[in-house]
Amino acid sequence: MTTPLKDDCPPAYQISFKWEDLNLFIYLAGEFGLKNLNAFTDDIKREISRQKAQSVTIDLSEICYLDSAAALALVQIEKGSVSRNIPCRLINLNDEAKGIFSVIHEDALTHLPFHSEKSSDGVIGQVGQASLYLARDFVNFVTFIGELLVALAYTLRNPKTLRGKDVLFYIRRAGVDGLPIVVLIGLLMGLIMAFMSFLQFKQFGANIYVPALVSFAMVKELGPIMTAILVAGRSGSAFAAEIGTMVVNEEVDALQTMGFDPVRFLAIPKVLATVIVVPILTIYADLAGILGGMIIGITSLDLTVKTYLTQSMKTIQVFDVVTSLIKASVFAGLISAIGCQRGFQVRSGAQDVGKYTTSAVVAAIFLIVLTDSIFAVMLYYVKRYSIL
Amino acid sequence: MKLAEGVLVLDSSKNVPIITVKNLTARFGNNVVFEDVSFEVYKGEVLVIVGESGCGKSTLLRIMIGLQKPAAGQVLYQGTDITHAQEKDLNLYRQNIGVLFQSGALFSSMTVKENIALPLSEYTNLSADAIDQIIKMKLGMVNLAGYENHNPSELSGGMRKRAGIARAMALDPRVLFFDELSAGLDPVTAVELDNLIIKTNEALGTTMVIVTHELESIYKIAHRVLMLDKEAKGMIAEGTPQELKEQATDPRVKSFFLRQLPSAPAEQRFYVN
Repeated sequence: MTTPLKDDCPPAYQISFKWEDLNLFIYLAGEFGLKNLNAFTDDIKREISRQKAQSVTIDLSEICYLDSAAALALVQIEKGSVSRNIPCRLINLNDEAKGIFSVIHEDALTHLPFHSEKSSDGVIGQVGQASLYLARDFVNFVTFIGELLVALAYTLRNPKTLRGKDVLFYIRRAGVDGLPIVVLIGLLMGLIMAFMSFLQFKQFGANIYVPALVSFAMVKELGPIMTAILVAGRSGSAFAAEIGTMVVNEEVDALQTMGFDPVRFLAIPKVLATVIVVPILTIYADLAGILGGMIIGITSLDLTVKTYLTQSMKTIQVFDVVTSLIKASVFAGLISAIGCQRGFQVRSGAQDVGKYTTSAVVAAIFLIVLTDSIFAVMLYYVKRYSIL
Repeated sequence: MKLAEGVLVLDSSKNVPIITVKNLTARFGNNVVFEDVSFEVYKGEVLVIVGESGCGKSTLLRIMIGLQKPAAGQVLYQGTDITHAQEKDLNLYRQNIGVLFQSGALFSSMTVKENIALPLSEYTNLSADAIDQIIKMKLGMVNLAGYENHNPSELSGGMRKRAGIARAMALDPRVLFFDELSAGLDPVTAVELDNLIIKTNEALGTTMVIVTHELESIYKIAHRVLMLDKEAKGMIAEGTPQELKEQATDPRVKSFFLRQLPSAPAEQRFYVN
């Protein structure tokens, strides 16, 4: 598709140069616009610089198409020539051409920007900025956890204020909808772990310990961590994006002006739902992992279902299962809290929503690993003293 | 020699169509928004499309800019059907039009300058300096000189619209489309925008298709008005704003232009015209 010009308009631009003594006359004809801007300005500039002219006159009487960019280019050729002490004139402009030239304001072309372009800080500056950001971020998160606890206490005292439908909705979104992927990943992890440990253990004839390794690792560490990371990716990011978009659309401001506490209204249902479903998902992940290990146990290790399950049960203690579920609940609280907090941090625009959604997932994974380390040390001492 | 068409033509007496809408029907599922709408947009004119909420003004605009396919009918740009065009041809068409969306739709992650530079760097091979100068000129045209390094979030609603116009005009389009031009703006800013539209149309001769409800704006800027109606599911009036205000017999048109509640009962209104 093209945009045809007038029938008698030449298909392209034509420029003829005429030198009278040292006076240069430039006759323009045809189409002058953004598409051929580079070409015709180069032609004109080349001719002007060919020899020192006493004056330059550009005749526009035969132009049949001109846009504002081409008009600007002609004005700049005129200015450039004048700055080199060569008088330059644009002549034979009709009313339409004058209209186009009238949109070029000298003031606007030389106006300095109100803001200078953002320059990046040096390495030290960037490290400083990052440190300040981290410190502020930590304070903000702790403050938000405080707000969340206050809102939770209020909800517990006034259960009617809890938006039950929302809690059920997020239980379905984070729990039921997330179950297939959690089970699938759990199953595959059990399979991989059993297979890899089988390859090592068979050298020592210790195949019988494969069920113990798989179930111990799944229940104590991998089940809760893997489930938490999946929930952080699925639901933590969704919470941040949802609340962030609500901030951008001024829905959070609207809630506040209607007298609702946004944290109580938006965050509490999400946090409660996540804390309820993540331990349940963890149980499913553990079972799927053990099932995955059992598939390898039966097909490659010549173990029976009964032997495999007995070996698994021997290893796992009630203490391990209970602490694993407590750990999963703590992970759930952290994931949902950071997701909501990052959502509330959004200020404007799509980019902010993307930034804080990413940040919600990264921060949640970091907190999961950090909390898991703390649990590992803590549980070691708890178990030790309880035995003593 | 008279300057020919393109951005220079402002000779509406000739009524040369640049866009022809033929028997257009829009439907969402079984719900017909409008059907059999036909009209022409003439070169250099400011055409305003009016009508009550839900009558399909924005749908019509979206079809005309190639964002939505109609259920039936055609939109021809200088004789080429854009409703059934390949993506490549549609992109060529899109380089000849500029669109200002209701909220300005500036990319929030970019500065004003980067917003305007985007089409210029994508569709031309101009140097960075040349693009910079064009941006300054466009910002001057919309009275935003000096705001190139501002982020859209730092601009007021009216400024965002003006920056949106500067971006829409980046490639010197033949046709500019405006969706709800002055919605949500204060009267002074709305008048500033009206003046900008008039000035741009007069200086560059750019054809403009504007969807708006603002009567004062319509009287000030429109060369011609089309009125769509929800119940009639189509166009019920066409003419200059003054003609429609003073000569229209249809109660729906009269009530709109005189800003009165319709006096005739609903059943009767449905069959008028």
